[in-house]
Amino acid sequence: MDFDVAPVTLRDLAESLKLWLILIGILGASGLLISMLLSVARNGVAGIGIFFKGLLSFLEDAGSISPRRVLALTNLTLKEAVRRKALLVFAVFAVLLMFAGWFLTDSNERAELQVGIHIAFILQTISWLMLPVVFFLSCWSLPEDIRVRSLHTVVTKPARRIEIVLGRIFGMGIVILIVLVAMGGIGYLWIVRQLPLEAKSQLTCRVPVFGHLQFVNPEGQPSLKGINVGDVWDFRTHIQGNTRARGVFVFQGIDDSALVMETKSAGDGSGTLQVQGLRMECRFESFRTIKGSESSIREGLQAQYTLSNNPREEAFGLFSQSETLRPLADALRDAQFRTAANRLDELATKVSADGEAAKNKQPAELQPTDYMGLQLGAVYAAGVMRYRKDADLESAMLAFQKVAEEGAALITKISSEAEDKNETLPGLHEAFAQSLRKLAAVLNQEADTLYEHLPKLEVPLPSFHVAEYHEGAAQNVKFVPRTVRFSADAETQSRFLASLFEKLNEADQLVEGDGLKFDLATQLQSEGKISAENSALVVDVLAEQLASGQLKVAGSKLSVADGRRWFHFFDSLIQKDLLISADDEGWMMERDLIKDLTQEGHLRVEVSCLNEQMYLGMARPDLFIRKPDRSFMVGYGKALVNTALMMMLIIVLGVTVSCIVKGPVALFFTFTFYIVGQFFHEFMQEILYSPTQQGMGAIASAVMTAQHRNPQIGMDVSETTQRVVQGIDAVPRAILWGFSQIVPDFSIFNSAAGFVENGFDVPFAETVVPAFLICLGFLIPCVLIAGALLKFRELESK
Amino acid sequence: MSNDAVIEIRNLSKIYRDFWGRKKVQAVKSLSMDVKRGEVFGLLGPNGSGKTTTMKMLLGLLFPTSGEMTILGKSASDVSKNERIGYLPEESYLYRFLNADETLDFYGRLFKMTAAERNRRADELIEMVGLGKARRRQLKEYSKGMARRIGLAQALINDPDLVLLDEPTSGLDPIGTREMKDLILRLKAQGKTVVMCSHQLADVQDVCDRIAVLFQGELKVLGRVEDLLEVRNEMQMRTSNLSEAAMSDIRDVLKKHNITEAAFSRPRADLEELFLRTVRESGERPGRRFTTEEIAGKSGGQA
Ligand SMILES: Nc1ncnc2c1ncn2[C@@H]1O[C@H](COP(=O)(O)OP(=O)(O)O)[C@@H](O)[C@H]1O
Ligand SMILES: [Mg+2]
Repeated sequence: MDFDVAPVTLRDLAESLKLWLILIGILGASGLLISMLLSVARNGVAGIGIFFKGLLSFLEDAGSISPRRVLALTNLTLKEAVRRKALLVFAVFAVLLMFAGWFLTDSNERAELQVGIHIAFILQTISWLMLPVVFFLSCWSLPEDIRVRSLHTVVTKPARRIEIVLGRIFGMGIVILIVLVAMGGIGYLWIVRQLPLEAKSQLTCRVPVFGHLQFVNPEGQPSLKGINVGDVWDFRTHIQGNTRARGVFVFQGIDDSALVMETKSAGDGSGTLQVQGLRMECRFESFRTIKGSESSIREGLQAQYTLSNNPREEAFGLFSQSETLRPLADALRDAQFRTAANRLDELATKVSADGEAAKNKQPAELQPTDYMGLQLGAVYAAGVMRYRKDADLESAMLAFQKVAEEGAALITKISSEAEDKNETLPGLHEAFAQSLRKLAAVLNQEADTLYEHLPKLEVPLPSFHVAEYHEGAAQNVKFVPRTVRFSADAETQSRFLASLFEKLNEADQLVEGDGLKFDLATQLQSEGKISAENSALVVDVLAEQLASGQLKVAGSKLSVADGRRWFHFFDSLIQKDLLISADDEGWMMERDLIKDLTQEGHLRVEVSCLNEQMYLGMARPDLFIRKPDRSFMVGYGKALVNTALMMMLIIVLGVTVSCIVKGPVALFFTFTFYIVGQFFHEFMQEILYSPTQQGMGAIASAVMTAQHRNPQIGMDVSETTQRVVQGIDAVPRAILWGFSQIVPDFSIFNSAAGFVENGFDVPFAETVVPAFLICLGFLIPCVLIAGALLKFRELESK
Repeated sequence: MSNDAVIEIRNLSKIYRDFWGRKKVQAVKSLSMDVKRGEVFGLLGPNGSGKTTTMKMLLGLLFPTSGEMTILGKSASDVSKNERIGYLPEESYLYRFLNADETLDFYGRLFKMTAAERNRRADELIEMVGLGKARRRQLKEYSKGMARRIGLAQALINDPDLVLLDEPTSGLDPIGTREMKDLILRLKAQGKTVVMCSHQLADVQDVCDRIAVLFQGELKVLGRVEDLLEVRNEMQMRTSNLSEAAMSDIRDVLKKHNITEAAFSRPRADLEELFLRTVRESGERPGRRFTTEEIAGKSGGQA
């Protein structure tokens, strides 16, 4: 089961509403037409008048529904169910619970499995016990009432027939509600009491945030999939250990609300303290190519998360899709914007040449994929830059956008079949080349600004162990404190030093006389949380730079002699290896998970495997951010609500059908409906939409069988016949379509239980709301249909 | 259409059909009649003559095959007419899991009645039908007579203007039957219109103003009870118990004088007889309707 449900948006709801209205329209129109024809068939021309009179009177009935009468009828249904001992189902439930404990509780099992089994047992039992009750109640009640004619006495009172239908449905609804609340409550207590103590902590509803998964291949290029290690089942793909391969999960909507509090023992042993942070839960698969000894099997693999906020990768990664463009992509990603500009100029030249070639009908040098790569890459780059809402990125963004536009125009023309293609192409090529050159110029000019404004921040977290088999949930949960401490890379280090020095300079804290302030090292230690060794190192190096004239003192400020920014000054120092960490830990730094590492709520987590020649397998649901848990009762309650809604839907259907046919027949129809919705809904979709199943219809197949022809060739008949056959064959398809649209997907009702059983919270908008809407979507037309069926039938006829 | 008619039936026919639309029985054949405001009207006929079918069509439980009818000035399919109608079905088709109080309360709620009104009315009716001791027992424990009584009570819950009673005395003991008849007369006294059907001639005889005799779905006779049962060429004398001597004296006197005394009156034929005669006649001349005079004359001729 997939717990990573696609979010339901308002647009989805609007779509469903539209479809619903269409179906209701079709159903209503055909219903009216059929009843009119029936009326005419029975009464001749006068039938039309009778039909409209009936319709009018039906609308009048529907308009004059009285809550008082509906309530009285509801009450009656309720009493009937109670006095006819429908509630005896409780007794069965109680007996089951008494004995279930013997079979279910096994303290040898893993805790989370135990929990799942217990919850599943209760939820399944409740739903399986209620199903027969609901089926019989809904399908038998009205026909029985008609058979013994107690309904006669009711309908000779001012009760409208549609009110009788409503009363039935509501009454039974209340019955199942009572039963559910009672069973649910008892079930809850049972689960809580029955579970072994060590499993109780697992009784919770995890709230996951799932991300999107992409990969980086061992060469460091983005890719959609990892490596297949030979599994038939290709749900997970793998990344190779100790290479540049990564699984990249991008999570959305990460903010303070995603953080949890965790109790940690204080470092100095003085007790515990609460730490805020992010919880990540994973379920990766480790694949060892070398098994080695037993202990190494138990060892599993070492994996590592790297939190990364890397706009350059996001903006320019896509350029690497085409081999030709890879040098460009690499230069951009490494912030080598001047190099990138040169590459662009080269590409522009090739583009111009391709234009000439097109005119002379010669083969082009660049492949269509290169053009596509350039265009798409530019779209992405412009998009990411726009998203950052940074005025300093504006000109580069516009230049990328221009490339995207010109590229789009060119590609459209290249792929078109237009007459004037060869005449117009050179012009388009030239325009595209021009846009590339313009971009190159901008990159050249803005190189430093871009570097400064597109910072890459990568925070490697401590590595952890992934077992070859799953030993339990607890070990897969990793807690990342909100303030992460990590060993910084060169870029981050120079950014950090630059901002620290800018700050100190602003506050006149750097200079004393015409030299550096004497306590600068202590300042760096306290302000920048830099280790003593590294502080001393920085002061030493700066003193040297001052002495050699790279830095100069002006008044109370220190500045870089050639007017460069601090960032570039430190960058060049680091490039010259002058600032290699003097302590063993490296340049340790602290960053805030939310403020520094998420961009507009996006958090990028890269997963890597550290063992050479080993593989780590993953799929989208394998890593999620676990928001603060909800209480188990909440999820359990939601699962029960969905069960209630399913029962309600069955009641609505059963009552409707039983308005026109007798109990057993009604039961048969309703049960069929349920079975199809529960077990064959997917199958119907498959027949309708899967390309492999879209073969020939029955008649076409029959014709081809008779003609001994195979489906690839088709029938040996005239065009018209073919059309007719196809037209006829479309009918069952249309019926199936209608059926698949009308029969609801019952799995949505059960899915809620699946979440809770597996320790997840039930996503309300994606599970409960659709279930409710399905129920409502049936209730409205069904009540009308049932009301009409009951009104226009003779209660007497046997 | 006179304002006086509570029920008007014109050319009403009903054919029962099976599932496939094939004709099974013609239960009512071209029936036309009116029921006037304030009268007690009896539908008379042997079992299976179409009385119940007619009543159910009036109530909208069955749809007529052809013909028209209005009831309280409304169409039979109009539910709102039920506000002012009370109906006692042939057998008490009630919810057997309810007790008498709940039954009356439930049906009361289907009318625009306040809780206080419902309670008052329920008390009155239970008192009236004499179920005071059994009001908290579920109907499934009731005897046939008790079920009839509670059936009647529910029919009157809304204090209806028009009461339709299908075989009101069936299942009642003689005392119950008497009480039922009294009640019908009481309803009449309250100005209500009552339509009852029965195969028990004695019932109709005592309470009905007018009767219609149905046979095999056809209306055979329609008229005032007195007119139908009057016998013209016979005399009947009623005295206190006579001794043997007195009897012979009177015989002598009559022989001698051949005169009429004030105490002598016209006797009434039993409806039983009327009924059987109608049936016999119908056998001989199907499809024919008889006049009051014919029926009365025949009766005389036979004596
Ligand atoms: N539901 C029905 N289906 C078919 N025939 C019926 C049905 N109800 C009554 N009949 C037939 O219609 C005729 C009239 O029945 P009914 O109106 O019940 O007579 P009554 O009430 O005068 O005894 C009878 O022949 C009966 O068998
Ligand atoms: Mg009858």
